[in-house]
Amino acid sequence: MARWMSRKWGLGLTLLLVTVPLEAHHSFGAEYDVTKPLTLTGVITKVEWTNPHSYFYVDVKDASGKVANWKFEGYPPSVLSRTGWKKDVTMKVGDTVTVFAWHARDGSNLAHSREVTLPGGKKLFFGPPAGTGDGGAAPAVDVK
Amino acid sequence: MTSLVVRMMAVMVCMAAALSAQSASKNGFPRLANGKPDLTGVWQSGSTQPGEWEEANSGLGVGGTGRNPNAPATLSSNDRPAGREGAPYQPWAAAKVVEAFNRRGIDDPTALCLPPGLPRTAMLGLFPTQIIQRPEQVVILYEYMSVFRVIPITSKHPDDILPSYMGNSIGRWDGDTLVVDVTGFNDKTWLAGTGTFHSDKLHITERYTRVSKDRINYEVTMEDPTVLTKPWKLESSLMLREGTRLQEYVCPENNLDPERFEKLLKEGVKFTR
Repeated sequence: MARWMSRKWGLGLTLLLVTVPLEAHHSFGAEYDVTKPLTLTGVITKVEWTNPHSYFYVDVKDASGKVANWKFEGYPPSVLSRTGWKKDVTMKVGDTVTVFAWHARDGSNLAHSREVTLPGGKKLFFGPPAGTGDGGAAPAVDVK
Repeated sequence: MTSLVVRMMAVMVCMAAALSAQSASKNGFPRLANGKPDLTGVWQSGSTQPGEWEEANSGLGVGGTGRNPNAPATLSSNDRPAGREGAPYQPWAAAKVVEAFNRRGIDDPTALCLPPGLPRTAMLGLFPTQIIQRPEQVVILYEYMSVFRVIPITSKHPDDILPSYMGNSIGRWDGDTLVVDVTGFNDKTWLAGTGTFHSDKLHITERYTRVSKDRINYEVTMEDPTVLTKPWKLESSLMLREGTRLQEYVCPENNLDPERFEKLLKEGVKFTR
């Protein structure tokens, strides 16, 4: 499995070097901590398709049964609609979803969503990769 | 007599239509009646994948559609792609670029929903770009931040330019390449990457060359003697995205970034490099 995964990622990285697509998103890297990934499951309480970024809210129950409402950030509406999402159809209030995300640096119940597993098992990306917009691996200038 | 007039008119209409119709060139892309390559269409910048939007962006492109959960991490227009040469900033200016990088881009003008400027707008891949070409002018509409450029085919900029985010563009043809000269910028945008600031002396030259039905090659040269040591050249491409339409993008609708950045700074939350 590990070997399969590394082959897969190796292929992905090779393709990345060849294609280098560019996005416009700002802020994710400053506000969210790439070293703090989260996977949370809960019930959708609200979905906001807004610019510049969309949000959805999930009631998540902890081990003791206490419920906390989490807020997740992601792509703007036009990007969601071009990549397989349908407003008010794909993800609705009351749906149980599992979200892979990165926690906000301020420690609040806020996270930057990436992959959402929808009822029925389908997976879609609601937000961009970790660190998007924070400048990347190196500054635009060469540092001597 | 009446039917003869009608028939003559019909012939004239057909001839006019034939004259103005786009004709496919040997490279498989259309040309205007004046023989120039027709760049009209909806395009995705920063991509080399052919096909319709969803197909081209599933797995490989901007984050994928979820069909391939192992889609490679893609880069923001703020992030320097692997292999790109360092930007030729003067030492004092390079230090400012690094400072912005270390602050993880929170000073990004687009976080305030301001227009992204050039060449950034022309090179970002998450949002489509529509080009509408006529013999006398080219109009470019960008979904991101709802900005536009009207590019007359002429040899001289107006003499009453006000400094602006997207500058003043004029176009000319160099063979089959549309060359766009842009000047009249303000100093409030980033060029291509976190902190890549510039002065109002910025001068940009873009070259758009349609090389196939699917692809326009894009080359840009940035000149700004105030901050750069030499012209900074970058290359990208635009891929045709048939079936894609531009949508509304009203950034200030729910922009929470400035408030959050202020909170991070005020509360002393560590986010810098």
